[in-house]
Amino acid sequence: MGTPCHFALFELQPSFNLDLDQLATRYRELARGVHPDRFADASEREQRLALEQSASLNEAYQTLKNPPKRARYLLAMGGRELPLEVTVHDPEFLLQQMELREELEDLSDMDGVAAFKRRLKLAQDELNQSFAACWDDAAQRDQAERLMRRMQFLDKLTYEVRQLEERLDD
Amino acid sequence: MAYSEKVIDHYENPRNVGKMDAEDPDVGTGMVGAPACGDVMRLQIKVNEQGIIEDAKFKTYGCGSAIASSSLATEWMKGKTLDEAETIKNTQLAEELALPPVKIHCSVLAEDAIKAAVRDYKQKKGLI
Repeated sequence: MGTPCHFALFELQPSFNLDLDQLATRYRELARGVHPDRFADASEREQRLALEQSASLNEAYQTLKNPPKRARYLLAMGGRELPLEVTVHDPEFLLQQMELREELEDLSDMDGVAAFKRRLKLAQDELNQSFAACWDDAAQRDQAERLMRRMQFLDKLTYEVRQLEERLDD
Repeated sequence: MAYSEKVIDHYENPRNVGKMDAEDPDVGTGMVGAPACGDVMRLQIKVNEQGIIEDAKFKTYGCGSAIASSSLATEWMKGKTLDEAETIKNTQLAEELALPPVKIHCSVLAEDAIKAAVRDYKQKKGLI
C-alpha cells in the first residue's frame, strides 16, 4: 500500500503506552507543515497532496490519542480483521456495565458525578495497564481483544457522563 | 435520522421492561453488548413445565433502535417454545421496525440476546 502506519507518521514505534503530551506537540508541528494555507500559491497537485497528508495526519492523531481506538489499531496491525460491529458475550463485565449505567441514571448532583468519574478513571487506568501488558503477546490475543472491547464500553460511559455533566450544568 | 413510528412506539412505551431473578432455575438470562456503540442488553425468559416461554423481560441501555428491537423481541417470545423462539431472526425484527441499514446491528444484538437467554436456560436444565 505504501501508506505509513499511524505510528510511523509520528516517528514512533507501535506501542500502547504513549506520551500524549508529546504526541500532541508533534501533531501540531506536523500539522503546521501541511496546513493548506502554506500551499495557497502552490500547484494544484501540491495542494491536493498537502490536503491528503493533512487528512491522514488528523486521522492518525484521532486514532492514537484515544485508548480504545489505539488498542484496536494495534490489534489490527497484526493483519487480523477486527469488525467494528460485533456482539460480545462477557456476562460479568456487562452486568457491571449495566449497574454503572443504572447508578449514572440516579446521579443528580455534581459531587456524585465527580465521584463516579474518579471510579471510572480508575477502571480505565486498570484496563489500559492490563492491555499494555498483553497486546503484543500472540498467546494472549483473545484476552487483548476482550480488554479492547471493554475499553470501548468505558469510553461510551465517559461520553454519557459528559452528557450528564452538560445537563446538570444548564 | 428519523425513526419509524414503530420504533418510536416501542421506545416511548417499551413492553416488558424489568428484571427477573437470574438464580431462578426456570429463568434464562442473556447478557450481550455492542462495544462500538456501548449498548448493553439484558433479556430474560421464564419457562414453564411445558417448555413454553410464559414471560420475558428486558433492560437495554442503548439507542432507540436497540431498545425497540429488544422490546419487540420480548413480545414475540412470549407464548413460544424455546425452539420457536430461537428461530426469531434479526431480519424479521428489523423489517417489523423498519430499521434503516445503519441500525441493523441493533436487531442483530437482540437476536443474539434471545439466543443467549435460551442457551442459559438450557444449560441450567442440563439440556445442552
